[in-house]
Amino acid sequence: MPDAPLVIEDLSFQYRTRPEPAIEHISFELKPGEMLLIAGSSGCGKTTLARCINGLIPRSYRGKREGKVLLHGKDVSEMQIADMAQIVGTLLQDPERQIVASNVFNEVAFGPENLGLPRAEIIARVDQAMKRLKIEHLRDRETFNLSGGEKQKVALAGLLAMNPSILLLDEPLASLDPASAYEALDAFRSLADEGKTVVLIEHRVEDAIVARPDRLLYMEVGQVKYLGSIRDLPTEINHREVKLPAEWVVKRVRQMGEKMEKTEPIPSAGRGEPLVVFENVDFRYSDETPWILQEVNLTIQRGDLIAVLGPNGAGKSTLVKHAIGLLKPTKGRVLIEGKDTRSLSIAQIARMLGYVFQSPTHMLFAPTVREELEFGPKNLDFKKDVMENAVIESVSTVNLKGLEEYPPLGLSFGQQKRTTIAAVLAMQSKIMIMDEPTAGQDYANYTHFMDAMCHPAADGSQSLVAANFAATLFITHDLDLAVTYANRVLLVGDRHIVADGTPEEVLRDFDLLKRYRVRPTSLLRLNLELLPRTKRFLTAEALAAYA
Amino acid sequence: MNDRASTWEFGTRQVVYGAIGAALYGVFSWATNIFPLPAAGNVSFRPAVAVLIFFGAAYGPWVGLLAGIIGNTLGDMLTGWGVYWNWSVGNGLMGMVAGLVMAAINDFRARADILKVVGWGTLGIIVGMLFASLTEMFVGGIDLNTALVGYFVPAFLGNFLVTIVLVPILMIAFAAVAARRGR
Amino acid sequence: MLVSWKYRPRNTFIQRLDPRTRFIFMACIIAALTIPEIWDYRIILPLFLISLTQYLMARIEWKDVRRAWFYIIFLVFFIVGLNGMISGRGGPSSVTDIASPVVFYVPIIDRLGWEVPITVSKIWFALNQIPRMLTMALLAIPLPYTLDPNIYGTAFRRMGVSDKISFTMDLAFRFLPTFARDLIITMDAQRARGYEMDKLKGGVVARIQRLAPLVIPVVMQSTVTGEEVIDAMDLRAFGTKPRTWLKELHYAPRDYFIIGLGVAIFITCCVLKWGFGIGGFFVPEFFTRLMTG
Ligand SMILES: Nc1ncnc2c1ncn2[C@@H]1O[C@H](COP(=O)(O)OP(=O)(O)OP(=O)(O)O)[C@@H](O)[C@H]1O
Ligand SMILES: Nc1ncnc2c1ncn2[C@@H]1O[C@H](COP(=O)(O)OP(=O)(O)OP(=O)(O)O)[C@@H](O)[C@H]1O
Ligand SMILES: [Mg+2]
Ligand SMILES: [Mg+2]
Repeated sequence: MPDAPLVIEDLSFQYRTRPEPAIEHISFELKPGEMLLIAGSSGCGKTTLARCINGLIPRSYRGKREGKVLLHGKDVSEMQIADMAQIVGTLLQDPERQIVASNVFNEVAFGPENLGLPRAEIIARVDQAMKRLKIEHLRDRETFNLSGGEKQKVALAGLLAMNPSILLLDEPLASLDPASAYEALDAFRSLADEGKTVVLIEHRVEDAIVARPDRLLYMEVGQVKYLGSIRDLPTEINHREVKLPAEWVVKRVRQMGEKMEKTEPIPSAGRGEPLVVFENVDFRYSDETPWILQEVNLTIQRGDLIAVLGPNGAGKSTLVKHAIGLLKPTKGRVLIEGKDTRSLSIAQIARMLGYVFQSPTHMLFAPTVREELEFGPKNLDFKKDVMENAVIESVSTVNLKGLEEYPPLGLSFGQQKRTTIAAVLAMQSKIMIMDEPTAGQDYANYTHFMDAMCHPAADGSQSLVAANFAATLFITHDLDLAVTYANRVLLVGDRHIVADGTPEEVLRDFDLLKRYRVRPTSLLRLNLELLPRTKRFLTAEALAAYA
Repeated sequence: MNDRASTWEFGTRQVVYGAIGAALYGVFSWATNIFPLPAAGNVSFRPAVAVLIFFGAAYGPWVGLLAGIIGNTLGDMLTGWGVYWNWSVGNGLMGMVAGLVMAAINDFRARADILKVVGWGTLGIIVGMLFASLTEMFVGGIDLNTALVGYFVPAFLGNFLVTIVLVPILMIAFAAVAARRGR
Repeated sequence: MLVSWKYRPRNTFIQRLDPRTRFIFMACIIAALTIPEIWDYRIILPLFLISLTQYLMARIEWKDVRRAWFYIIFLVFFIVGLNGMISGRGGPSSVTDIASPVVFYVPIIDRLGWEVPITVSKIWFALNQIPRMLTMALLAIPLPYTLDPNIYGTAFRRMGVSDKISFTMDLAFRFLPTFARDLIITMDAQRARGYEMDKLKGGVVARIQRLAPLVIPVVMQSTVTGEEVIDAMDLRAFGTKPRTWLKELHYAPRDYFIIGLGVAIFITCCVLKWGFGIGGFFVPEFFTRLMTG
């Protein structure tokens, strides 16, 4: 029989700069057309394993490597990178960083060009790859202004143009909205059906199983905890580390016999006074460009914990940028505590609203966390003592104690995220606005983060945001965040707010959700099922008590 | 992180950081060309220079050279001034000379190393701007004094100032980033 | 304020030319003026007219270039003026040292009676200098408006630059809009923290320091991006073999004509200057008479 496409024998690797190995004693074998799902929390070694398979280890990354990686019987460490490139195609997490050409056609052609193939063949390959993924219509577009989903497809086409027999996909869904993610998974499935061996790295198992992987490999701290069928529920898998379908979680919680007490519904905070008011807001970026917002009316009230849902490009970020005065309405007006944002400077608004941008790397710059947190207050000319207290408080609130003198840029992603929150806390704004607070974090990290932010503490005391802010609003593509944490949901779609109400009201209308590219999740379905008894939406763990 | 290259190596790493450096240099000079330093001739006051010096020091002379030449050209093009080969080459030399220090840097946080970079950066500025200014004598037909007073001195002062202020900040920040590279 | 690359496809002779032709022609003219050090108005003026024609043929909208022109004109006059004032030693304009009737004096410090003599030759030199400088500017300015940014890499590869360096250019163009957007996002992020760009108080140093919150995040993120791009390119076999460049470039007859013209101009200038001693600086009779009356 021909050699299996991929054989890994007792593989271990330790980065030269690290005291401990990143992966240890990993062995498995993949057949043609087989799809393996690799799951595990951040830092467990998924990417490292991928680098061993595509040959970046040992080529670009030095360290101690043991064991074997065989591609069609040949040892990776003895192959030329040019040959490797035609066997393994690797899709990196962020397509934005994988795309190297200014226009789509050149991007897809990049690999074959590097192989020095004759022009005619390259063009044939490119057309074929684009046809395969149904993106011919993008052929002459600039790569820069493609949507996230389109970027991903283009990057994937770039790999197919090398016609590899193995596809290595490292968290390909991270930057996509649910609908695009679903399309991508579809594509992966059909590629496997065509006989390509697919290795799919993804911690959101619930989403990944849409691609019907044959086997699941679950890792913790560099070691294989489970390798086998994905159908019968593997209890080895920790539902707090990776995102499992709600039913699995419920089952698991019951099997593990974890204690399940029925959580008492907290009396939903009565609507307080209005803080931010949108009055018939229309907006476009310039006279040439189309309207982004039209007839938007919205009132943010004390006690609101709002989740904003909607497809890419719907105008969610544009909407919230009006609230903080970064953008001013083309028509209509936005009032903050009764004052028109046109009459307020950004600095004045910043005293009332804090805005946390999606990626911490867009704002962190100071040499120490303390200076980072002092930046805002200084700009708002706080008095020294006021500022110092504000900083000390905010640090302890997001528990960054002990890191005050540490450089923010040197912190882990999760810590950086909390630093950005603290930076807003320190400005003592009344309202907190977060744009995709969980993007780019793995499941374990962001659930932990959101719990810390939005869940009432075990002792029943208020949640962090409730205690520190009159109202909170976050944009997200993750429906479950809206289900679990919000007390109000806004659905933004084609230039309008198409739905506004409690999660229980808004999220029950599946047709509406689907129309705006929001895919109902297993957690939502289960919650709706049990709603008569729970009275409100709960986390999967909590649902176990009712199921 | 991918492995640090030796000073004169020229591979994918240098291509990528050369391009990134150039793009950054282009964007920043475009963003600041809007308010040129008075009396600085066609030499505007560019924080971008600090980025160039930093890239040279962090990624080596080739990166500095490419980032300088291409970056300056991009910046001038974006601003709409057209292309002035001698100034682009001058900027290239600036980054390249700064890049010679790369091998001598092992801790971006250490005062000694920061001083080294600022020192070599300054040398780079002198060499680069001197080249550009002196070639102006033949391109523009000006004489030595004009080249020095009209071009070199303001260019040098502007770039030097930017360098001593921003390069240390960049290096300290970079030390932190490098420390957690790879996750 | 998004970085807008000003290139627009236009159906003009200039844009039908092969990009290489544009670069080569420009190089020829600059070389023709600088290498044999041409200072004869009888040569400078024709060349000035040639590049003026090509500038007009490019049909760039005035509103696009207004700012640039004001700036360049200001610069040219600033430099030329300065040169007129303090020239004298070294460089090509030392030609103006030759004793020449003084037209007027520019007082620097009256009490000391320190004043700069402005001679006929100095004035004439300045008058030549202006079109000479503009000749080169006129060639340079249209490039970004009339060359497709996607073609630079290929063009330079075809002119013998190495694969890696040519691709560096393409890659730089690729990243330009990305970092411009990062800069804008960062600007927003910091403004949301009360940072006001226009509220730059303090001296120059303080102003430069105030830029850190914008510069640091963008640059640091780019260094991280770089590591991923390197992997992405290695994984697609970059630099393992001589590259195929998909875009093809072909010289048309018009290209040969323009390149020929450029080369001819260059050679003529060299021959005139070094062969016949024509083309150097001199003050024509009529001008001296005009000045001294
Ligand atoms: N280039 C590197 N140099 C040194 N250590 C590294 C490097 N890349 C990763 N590591 C370390 O190796 C371990 C595994 O990292 P890896 O990126 O493989 O995890 P991961 O499962 O991919 O995490 P994530 O899901 O967040 O991508 C981590 O402790 C990480 O800090
Ligand atoms: N600075 C800008 N100039 C012009 N158009 C813009 C600008 N920023 C965004 N747009 C356009 O406005 C529309 C809405 O953008 P916005 O970022 O608000 O969408 P979004 O809902 O936040 O999308 P995502 O979920 O991807 O963040 C998009 O079509 C986008 O292309
Ligand atoms: Mg990873
Ligand atoms: Mg958005």
